[in-house]
Amino acid sequence: MIEFDPIELELFKNMFVSISEEMGAVLGRTALSPNIKERKDFSCALFNQKGETFAQGSHIPVHLGAMPLSVQSALRTCSFEENDLVVLNDPYRGGTHLPDLTCISPVFADKKLAFFVANRAHHSDVGGMTPGSMPLATEIFQEGLIIPPVKLVQKGKLREEILTLILANVRTPEERQGDLMAQIAANEKGKQRLQEIIKKYGLKKILQYTNLIQNYTEKILRETIKNIQDGNYSFTDYLDDDGIHRKPINISVIIRVKKDEAFIDFGFSSSQVEGSVNANFAVTCSAVLYVFRSLIKEDIPFNTGLMRPLKIYAPLGSIVNAQYPAATAGGNVETSQRIVDVLLGALALAIPREIPAASSGTMNNVAFGGYDPEKKTNFAYYETIGGGMGGSYDLPGLSGVHTHMTNSLNTPLEAVENYLPIRIHKYCLRKGSGGEGLHKGGEGIIRDYEFLVPTQVTIISERRKFSPYGIWGGKGGRKGRNILFSKGKEKILNSKVNLKVDPGDVLRIETPGGGGYGRRKK
Amino acid sequence: MIEKLRIGIDTGGTFTDFVIHHKGRIQTKKVPSVPHDPSQAILEGIREFQDAAYSLLIIHGSTVATNSLLERKGARIALITTKGFEDILFIGRQVRKKLYSLKGEKRKSILSSDFCFGLDERTTAQGEIEKNISLEELKEILKKIKSLKTEAVAVSLINSYANSSNEKTIKKELDREKILSSISSDILPEYREYERTATTAVNTFLMPILNNYLSNLETKIKKADFRIMQSNEGYISPALAKQKPITTALSGPAGGVVGAFQLAKLAGFRNIITFDMGGTSTDVSLVDGLIRRTNECVIGDFPIRLPIIDIHSVGAGGGSIAYLDRGGSLRVGPQSAGAEPGPACYGQGTSPTVTDANLVLGRLDPEYFLGGKMKIYPERSFKAVEKLAKKINKSLLKTADGIIEIANANMEKAIRVISIERGIDPRNFALFSFGGAGGMHAAEISALLKMSKIIIPNNAGVLSALGLLLTDSIKDYSKSILKDAEEVSGKGLEKHLARLREKSLKEMIKDGFEPKDISFLPFLDLRYLGQSYEITIPYRMPSKSQKAFPFIGDFHEAHKKLYAYHHLQRPVEIVNLRLKAVGKSQKIKIKKYPLMTKNPEKAFLKKQAVYYAGKKHSASLYERSLLEPGNEISGPALLLSYESTTFIPPSFKVLVDGFLNLIIQKKR
Repeated sequence: MIEFDPIELELFKNMFVSISEEMGAVLGRTALSPNIKERKDFSCALFNQKGETFAQGSHIPVHLGAMPLSVQSALRTCSFEENDLVVLNDPYRGGTHLPDLTCISPVFADKKLAFFVANRAHHSDVGGMTPGSMPLATEIFQEGLIIPPVKLVQKGKLREEILTLILANVRTPEERQGDLMAQIAANEKGKQRLQEIIKKYGLKKILQYTNLIQNYTEKILRETIKNIQDGNYSFTDYLDDDGIHRKPINISVIIRVKKDEAFIDFGFSSSQVEGSVNANFAVTCSAVLYVFRSLIKEDIPFNTGLMRPLKIYAPLGSIVNAQYPAATAGGNVETSQRIVDVLLGALALAIPREIPAASSGTMNNVAFGGYDPEKKTNFAYYETIGGGMGGSYDLPGLSGVHTHMTNSLNTPLEAVENYLPIRIHKYCLRKGSGGEGLHKGGEGIIRDYEFLVPTQVTIISERRKFSPYGIWGGKGGRKGRNILFSKGKEKILNSKVNLKVDPGDVLRIETPGGGGYGRRKK
Repeated sequence: MIEKLRIGIDTGGTFTDFVIHHKGRIQTKKVPSVPHDPSQAILEGIREFQDAAYSLLIIHGSTVATNSLLERKGARIALITTKGFEDILFIGRQVRKKLYSLKGEKRKSILSSDFCFGLDERTTAQGEIEKNISLEELKEILKKIKSLKTEAVAVSLINSYANSSNEKTIKKELDREKILSSISSDILPEYREYERTATTAVNTFLMPILNNYLSNLETKIKKADFRIMQSNEGYISPALAKQKPITTALSGPAGGVVGAFQLAKLAGFRNIITFDMGGTSTDVSLVDGLIRRTNECVIGDFPIRLPIIDIHSVGAGGGSIAYLDRGGSLRVGPQSAGAEPGPACYGQGTSPTVTDANLVLGRLDPEYFLGGKMKIYPERSFKAVEKLAKKINKSLLKTADGIIEIANANMEKAIRVISIERGIDPRNFALFSFGGAGGMHAAEISALLKMSKIIIPNNAGVLSALGLLLTDSIKDYSKSILKDAEEVSGKGLEKHLARLREKSLKEMIKDGFEPKDISFLPFLDLRYLGQSYEITIPYRMPSKSQKAFPFIGDFHEAHKKLYAYHHLQRPVEIVNLRLKAVGKSQKIKIKKYPLMTKNPEKAFLKKQAVYYAGKKHSASLYERSLLEPGNEISGPALLLSYESTTFIPPSFKVLVDGFLNLIIQKKR
């Protein structure tokens, strides 16, 4: 029996997704910082009254599970009025890590709260110990400005005092202001479009289809899980260390598949750690959703419906559900990748042809900052570097790409050199780093930076001790390396490090290759 | 001056179209295309004019460049770049194509990494040459390149947009060795190393093929002036096209937009959205007094950062297949039945398509496909749609209606992308519809977007070829500035501009234009300092008394229009200086007829039942070619012509104007 109209479902589905995409078009085009504009490190989504998503566009995977949690958190603490906008970044109140600022706006219909629109964007600095706000911290207070859900716009009026407070706490206030204005504009667009269609079709119908579109996505995921044989599949992998203690950190998962549902149990994972690689629950959720979304072949709207067949157990106080006030900057970018690795490792046991070997498993975060005497300004810059993708049943892994939880563009080095006192001498593939196999893993990347002025550098990277695994006889990808060439000497750096470099020093980042799939034919 | 016989030739997938203009008369012609050698159809089509007593001017829209790029059937090329960046084309922007594909995608490059060479040289972002080219090292590389039997070499060095002298040194050596080559500072002197390198490499990849193709045509066509259409709305000489084949990479659709723009202007419309709906896809573009151009285009996975007509394409057409997905939603496209097996009614396929839905709703006349030359099986359409109707528990007609509605929504979305998403209100535009399937959907789509009028031109079937005869010669030049406007002097800009002007004047004169027929349109790509997308603003000279550049104010305004906000206090950065040079050509004139009777009875064929919005109507069918200027028809009606059918819904009416265009609008 069909309890809805398949024609209308298709029409509304496309309409909702196109609204979130139009929000993304506004945000991407109007933001100031390269991280948002060029690298498109942002997501936009539409929510029902309960703060559940029904459509999400222009998304990056690590924001997926986190967006609803931020709206729900704002719902708990703020009373929304028409034309308000709430901003937040607190990982313990709906955020992921501090640099991700989320803006949430209510959408009213006939003076009643009907929906929310929200977008989340990665800002290249939110204060804290080091430029770029990805420090090697031990508690969240060191990582930057913490913004609980507060109204940045009230009844259509920008609250200058809040903006001033935010801008006073960051290293590049102008850029932050520009990016925030773009985030506000994106929400305005979403709001306006939603109101248009409410006017055209009536609120009742829109509400009906926001529910149906969630059921739709849920149904497709359930059918996908049904094709996986019932059973318990487990896998363990490790993070190198937390940047404070040189100890490996284990992440373990048991996926219990039963009919069309999966129970994902992280109960055997390490406790939370002192350094910043703690993932909060939102990040863990995102990683789980990413993996299960990727099992679906067709193009479907991303929404809360995906959550329904999945149950996640992540004990509070563990590495995958950190407790306040643990530091979290690296949890979002690094631990999220390892969570994906263990989930895929477990699923490979059930559906070996669908799951590739491990990809590079790190975003290779590099942040710089200092004073540029020529331009007479401070500078702060953040970027991530791709690596090798794991080989799979059908194909060798791609080389020099971002994998899994991120897909952000690189910044052209001609832009870096034009705006920053930095010279890039090498940006090439790291030959031989992909793991051997029937289908080889992709190659990592080598990137060399020369510093022209004294600069503070922070690196948060992974897979420097444990290589990306190969499967079914394939070899692991080569581990990454961070090297500093200073005054004629070569020094291997730790995977997570904060250091001051002098003019003429060269930093080399060698990123890991992907694991190989299957035994290589002789 | 003797008037030349002008021929516009557009190579398409199935037919090569010809529009011939002589002494004020227009004649059209179609010859089957020969995909493996497009010149055959061209020579066949112009044979009868070869021995005539007058000289020919041929303007040609070619698909040779596009196809060899899409099929990766170009030359064996090598790349010379700065040492340390040899893999630049393979890393690209370090992203994968599909976010949720665990396995990545298959990639097809245009060269292998063994053909990429790094030179130990360096230019800084400020344009200082820090390390010169070592001729010894270069010669070593050239030796290797030669031993690899490459046909052409691309050169793209880091920061060459700021100073091209190292690239020029290499070019000199390559020329001396008589190796075909292109350098990035010639092709695209703009920052962003990957895009510049990719654009240059693709250009090089196409050079030998275009050289052969054009030289062959030039020798075989006698007594003719020969011009090639570019994707930027203007044509160039074959000599230039051989150096910059990449500028011809989208020249086919460009002819269509130019044709639409010119015909609409004649008919009195300045603002149009072109709507070209074919079998598998639909192309839309926006013209607001000017043809809109973009620098952000991707062909066959390669970014081509050259000005081209801004055409947006979606996978929705007459052949798009309707099906119920496993989540229970009715999908239409992007899979298409194409020409093989085609819509169910063609007699081969069994999947219901948009065309089948139209047939079920009575919006096509089965006896009049391709003027009655093609046999159609309407019962197969009914069967195919009926099968789907059962699955979704709806009536046959409701299902057909739904298919059309979803297809229309997909196309509406494409138009939103090029209008509303760019801050432009489509209500001020007329929908200019051409392409085989457009006429059946244009009225409803215009209603969705509240557009006031629809134009369906006469000669729609050869619009691209006609457009070729209505265009000027256009060349684009650019120079990256990358400086805060405060740090740039008016004098400095003028100097750069003078250099570009000098270069373009030389090339225009070489192409046979007199200086008086050449005009220059300078533009600036501007953005707020720190942004990375630019807005192109016409350059205006600052007057002596003015302190600020007048274009800065224009930029703030444009930013506000596009993005709904501006920052008057923020510094503005000048990214690129652009010069568009237009060589005015003698264009053909299209005859306007006086309006005759309102009564279309001469063209009346018969009555037929059509279904619209759930109701049955009796529509009048007319033969389009028999309609006369001044005729008025009230919907519901179907206007049939050889290549397409136009559906006039009950609430619409149509007027035939003096150029035999159909002007459709809502009844009051």
